Amino acid sequence: MNETIDVRRESSLYMLIWAWLVFLLIAGLVIFVLPVPRTAAVILIFSLAAIKAVLVLRNYMHLKHEHLLIYLLVLTPALLFLGMAITLIPDIVYRHHLGLGG
Amino acid sequence: MAAGAQSVSAIAETDHLREIPAGKMAVWIFLASEILVFGGLITGFVLYQFAHGGFAADAAHVKWRFGAFNTLVLVTSSMTMIMALASARADDRRRVRTYLFLTILLGCLFLGVKGFEYRGEFREGFYPSSGMFWSFYFGMTGLHAMHMMGGIVINLMLLIAATRNVSSEFLQRRIEYGGLYWHFVDVVWIFLFPLLYLT
Repeated sequence: MNETIDVRRESSLYMLIWAWLVFLLIAGLVIFVLPVPRTAAVILIFSLAAIKAVLVLRNYMHLKHEHLLIYLLVLTPALLFLGMAITLIPDIVYRHHLGLGG
Repeated sequence: MAAGAQSVSAIAETDHLREIPAGKMAVWIFLASEILVFGGLITGFVLYQFAHGGFAADAAHVKWRFGAFNTLVLVTSSMTMIMALASARADDRRRVRTYLFLTILLGCLFLGVKGFEYRGEFREGFYPSSGMFWSFYFGMTGLHAMHMMGGIVINLMLLIAATRNVSSEFLQRRIEYGGLYWHFVDVVWIFLFPLLYLT
């Protein structure tokens, strides 16, 4: 009986998450269509995408119930790319934006 | 001796690694390696844009409505996939089969729309060799589509398993692992869509 109630509760949560995903998708499209300044639009659209990803990761992939080790497995490559981007940005600014370095 | 056995048991109990089933751990390690694949492409695309001032002229040719529709299809397929897992937990085989079938159908719809989109782009004269934007665009969306095909095959295998007399626990675990992969492919698209179509 309790198991049935748990499954029902779980299913309602999954439907709610789906409704949020659709809402966030529409919100992103509204920002894209409206005359929002480009930089602000890019920040907003990617923030909404990040929220959607977190919703899927935490609820559909059950990361919120997972062990810290799984979080570390996911975060390590993501942080490596962030680190790589941050490391390369000064070189891009130096060569392409300031026109230095030959 | 007894004290030694007790301490070994205590270590085993506190060893959290043992709490994670080997299959699940393997899927997460695989997904971490997939982050390296897509992360490399996405970081390369963003840095190239930053260095060369964006791809506004080329990006104006991609049809964002197709991308938006496909995003809706993919998030819906993620929902049907997780509902298949919830149904497996309730040991409702009929619903498991229905939700898996819907997930496969939505996956095929996504690929159909993507194929239609590619056809339009080829007709307009845009190919992977048409410039840096198109190389990234076809490379990233093509790789993603191949992952979708893999996911469809996995779901087909799960659907076949659901029609056979396999144990409930076996089915639950396999749907959970297959679902992790499917949701990951969804998460990748969640970032590819704004990256290629909206910005």
